[in-house]
Amino acid sequence: MAEVTGSEAGQGDSQAGGQAAAKARPGQRRVAHWMRDYVRLPGIPDEYIADDGTPRGVWSRFFDAFANLAPSDIERRFAAADRHLREAGVTYRAPGESAERLWPLSHLPLLIDEADWQLLSAGIAQRAQLLELVLRDLYGEGRLIAEGAIPAAAIAGSAEYLRPICGLKPPGGRYLSLYAADVGRGPDGRWWVLGDRTQAPSGAGYALENRLVLSRAFASLYKSMNVERVAPFFEAFRASLHRAADRDEPRIGVLSPGSFSETYFEQATLARYLGFLLVEGDDLAVSGDRVHIRTVAGLKRLDVLLRRVDSNSLDPLELDAASRLGVPGLIDVLRKNGVVVANMPGSGVLEARALLGFLPGLCRRLFGEELKMPHMATWWCGQKDAREEVLSRLDELAIESAYGRGVPGFESNGPVLAGELPPAERQRLASAITERGIDYVGQELVRLSTMPVWDQGRIVPRPFVLRVFAAATADGWTLMPGGFCRIAEQLDARAVTMGDGARAADVWVVSDKAVPATSLLPASDSVRIRRIAGVLPSRAADNLFWLGRYLERAEATLRLVRALGTQQRDPGKGSSAMQQAAERIQRLLVAWGAVSQTSRTQVAKVAAEALRSEPRFGSALSLLRAAQRTATSLRERLSPDAWQVITEMTTRLAHEIEDDDVVVSAAELTLQELASFAGLAQENMNRAAGWRFLEMGRRAERAINTARFARQFASDEASPEDLDVLLTLVDCQITYRSRYLVGPVLAPVRDLVVLDTYNPRSVAFQVEALNEHVASLPALRETGLIERPQRLAVALRGTLITAEAAALDGKTLFSLEQDLLTLADAIGLQYFPHGPNASRPEKLTGLA
Amino acid sequence: MIYDIRHVTTYSYESPVSYARCSLRLEPRSGDGQELISHRVEVRPKPVERTTRRDFFGTLTESIVIEAAHRHLRIDSTSRVAVARSVPGRAADSPAWESVRDAAFAATSLGPSSPVGYVFASALVPVLSPVTAYAAMSFPVGQGVLASAAELMHRIRTEFRYEPKATVISTPLHEVFAKRHGVCQDFAHVMIAGLRGLGLPAAYVSGYLRTIPPPGQPHLQGADATHAWVSLWCGEALGWIGFDPTNDLLVANDHIILGIGRDFADVSPVDGIIVGSPKQRLGVAVDVVPVA
Repeated sequence: MAEVTGSEAGQGDSQAGGQAAAKARPGQRRVAHWMRDYVRLPGIPDEYIADDGTPRGVWSRFFDAFANLAPSDIERRFAAADRHLREAGVTYRAPGESAERLWPLSHLPLLIDEADWQLLSAGIAQRAQLLELVLRDLYGEGRLIAEGAIPAAAIAGSAEYLRPICGLKPPGGRYLSLYAADVGRGPDGRWWVLGDRTQAPSGAGYALENRLVLSRAFASLYKSMNVERVAPFFEAFRASLHRAADRDEPRIGVLSPGSFSETYFEQATLARYLGFLLVEGDDLAVSGDRVHIRTVAGLKRLDVLLRRVDSNSLDPLELDAASRLGVPGLIDVLRKNGVVVANMPGSGVLEARALLGFLPGLCRRLFGEELKMPHMATWWCGQKDAREEVLSRLDELAIESAYGRGVPGFESNGPVLAGELPPAERQRLASAITERGIDYVGQELVRLSTMPVWDQGRIVPRPFVLRVFAAATADGWTLMPGGFCRIAEQLDARAVTMGDGARAADVWVVSDKAVPATSLLPASDSVRIRRIAGVLPSRAADNLFWLGRYLERAEATLRLVRALGTQQRDPGKGSSAMQQAAERIQRLLVAWGAVSQTSRTQVAKVAAEALRSEPRFGSALSLLRAAQRTATSLRERLSPDAWQVITEMTTRLAHEIEDDDVVVSAAELTLQELASFAGLAQENMNRAAGWRFLEMGRRAERAINTARFARQFASDEASPEDLDVLLTLVDCQITYRSRYLVGPVLAPVRDLVVLDTYNPRSVAFQVEALNEHVASLPALRETGLIERPQRLAVALRGTLITAEAAALDGKTLFSLEQDLLTLADAIGLQYFPHGPNASRPEKLTGLA
Repeated sequence: MIYDIRHVTTYSYESPVSYARCSLRLEPRSGDGQELISHRVEVRPKPVERTTRRDFFGTLTESIVIEAAHRHLRIDSTSRVAVARSVPGRAADSPAWESVRDAAFAATSLGPSSPVGYVFASALVPVLSPVTAYAAMSFPVGQGVLASAAELMHRIRTEFRYEPKATVISTPLHEVFAKRHGVCQDFAHVMIAGLRGLGLPAAYVSGYLRTIPPPGQPHLQGADATHAWVSLWCGEALGWIGFDPTNDLLVANDHIILGIGRDFADVSPVDGIIVGSPKQRLGVAVDVVPVA
């Protein structure tokens, strides 16, 4: 399951291109039909229709090829793309929301022709280098400020100007490793920069995912269009982070704010694609002059952090003291050159709008040339001339914060349009600008250019913003050919964020010539062979262990539900022995929190509640949701198949079920899916530490549940009906019958269920497996003494080997269950980050 | 005036703490009208690592790491400082406050003493329009910055109640302002917020205040506390001048400066993280004794 997502190149569907000539006419008619409402908006450039009213070359080529697909085929491919997104669980979270949303991908890509792209990339590369040099000076010598090229106030106002970074040489030699710019086509038809992203740009992972989906759905179209590949960009970026470290085979982590971050999915995608560890602040610890990651084998040095945590949250000791996302002491390690952080903390200062107006001058000063790409005209009101310009044209301009989000004194996250304010508010804005001009900028209102978007059988123009990415590599700035495109649903779009329900689109940079498919595969002799992907972080181990436990507990609950439901259909259900057995099942379900005490009057209701009750934390649905949440934090380690199985199970159980028969069949289907998840783990997961923790969770939980079942249904007073239920619950009916020609008898049943090491469902079998796993985990102490989990496991094994079935009374089984719980806890204490061995740092109380 | 200062910080934990990483900013600075003569910090239990550096604001910052399990942490700082400041009178001539604001906005340095670093909101001091409006009442058009700021200080002293138990370190500024009470730190933050709202460069100063015992009574050991006040940039000629809103005093020779920053977060004398006990008790004892 720990496979890495493959290359973007799809395969299959070769029929489309070959029949192009024959279908040309109806195809063109079809395009014309789709385009019936497509009009260029007055005064705004369009990607498809050029200024002279004719379609642009790349788009004509695309639609010609696109029209060759049969309409039903197109629908099928669109549906395939949507399905892939759903199944792979591509999601994002809107600001302030806790639920993840499905990724809305537009079905048509944005096309950019090669020549146009060259212009754009030259402009972006120049800008990235300019910003790097400005950062170097700001945090270094400070000549640009001293000589008046940048007003000091334009920097000092930014919360991202980090004083602890001043004078600190960036380990790895640079401030920006990844730079992104939001661009749009301006009224003059050229590409314009709308904003710079220098802090921790997001979107590259989504771009990757979009490419994967679209290139698969339209494989031959994608191939025939000569689309530049994005893989070499990521390869170059990875290589440059490797080079930044000061040892061979460095350990690199993507520092995430955690699974509640808006873009957690894409952080996981990136980590997985680049082969980096996905880590959170809690996973890291400063020791000596280095940053280390807590792993199941103890602390291991981390060389490079690609951060998705904002600078101010990185170190509670030197930056925001309230932050829980960072690593205490991280800045001090930077000072000692002990870790590379990309981008360097403090790089975000260049996102301040106040600086935009100074960039053309800085470019002339530092490079002796003009800025190649224009940006939105911006006036910083901290200077008299600019302030007067803004005040005199107040109604035509958008007023923005000079440094961050939200215009000071006005409750809006976006720009304030003076022209739309009531007179009193407009006056308040004008006097605020007069008094504290340093806080404000005026910006030219930009209408974004439009591109073709598929909308229910029509193609319509929609405004878009394109985010392009540049990585600092050995050969200068390397651009991702393409990027992350967001489409606004309204025609009047001034700003687009995913939270507004905007769609995303893949971006195709289209070449005239064929594009080499695998241009950057490294030579085989430069790759060192390795069989294990690296150390397992403690938190991932913790999550895998609990994923195993939740899934196994869900399985046990489903088996109880199925047994209860099946029994109801049994003609002999009226007998008192059977009623007692049913009663025991219900008691177990209540004890597990799957069913409320009060609903025990109706058996059918109990089964349905245990299956899918939302409020009961122990219902199968709740357990599978818990498994899904845990799996969310393991995104980079789970294959899409595994994720898909979990998603399907929760989706099925979340549906309303009324009928008793449906309860049983839903339980059965879900049990089958659990088996297929187990099969995926068994057949596809590398036998590294991660697999062992998933297995240990599953084995420990199964042992505990089986011991408990045995205690309930194989006590000294157990009836044959009880024993029969037990054999069903642990799936041993067939085994039992093949060995014994009589009905269920106490001692043989106990032996089979608890002590028989040949039976993969017995307690003893689980304990054997746990022993093997525990023995092969790394020891944390160097004393040569056996550690606690192993001591407990070996003792349990001894107990089970020497036990006799006849003597396994309720008391013995209860203590067995307790010992198993202790073993599970001991594994947690030894290896997981939240045990007492590595507890969370607490802040010292400050002085009043 | 020469002072001997003893500043002892103790932490007691409910359960053992296995690891601590702290930043200490306990060395009184040299400059701004005072001279450090001697300084020593003792830490118990003994840290495995002690490194010192000057931070951005020029404060000596010591990083310590303790790896021995402990229930008590004691940080004992001893300093001797000579103080000699000359202070202008409240009514002394000073430039119009607007011209000070404009000069600060036009500064060409990002250094620690450049006024431009102190005109914006900072971690603990937001710029809030009600606070700005409150301060603006002391700043009529064209009035000298010194007299205006002194009046603002006087108003805070008379209109806010000093209540040692009223606030904790995390009480947000808007709450302090609404309730009109707090401690020295809160008064300093409120005054800074008002000044910055007007565009004036205001810094936060942590330090000590010499307390004078009532006539006929001896100076009580440990009766003093750490103190906080405001430093306002009054234009190129006058430079930075200290205002103590808790006592309605222009800072002269009774104040000893420990650190200067944008707010408490920049100069917190003892700060850090521990692994272990969530429950802790903090004790601070300060003695300021004039020796000459």
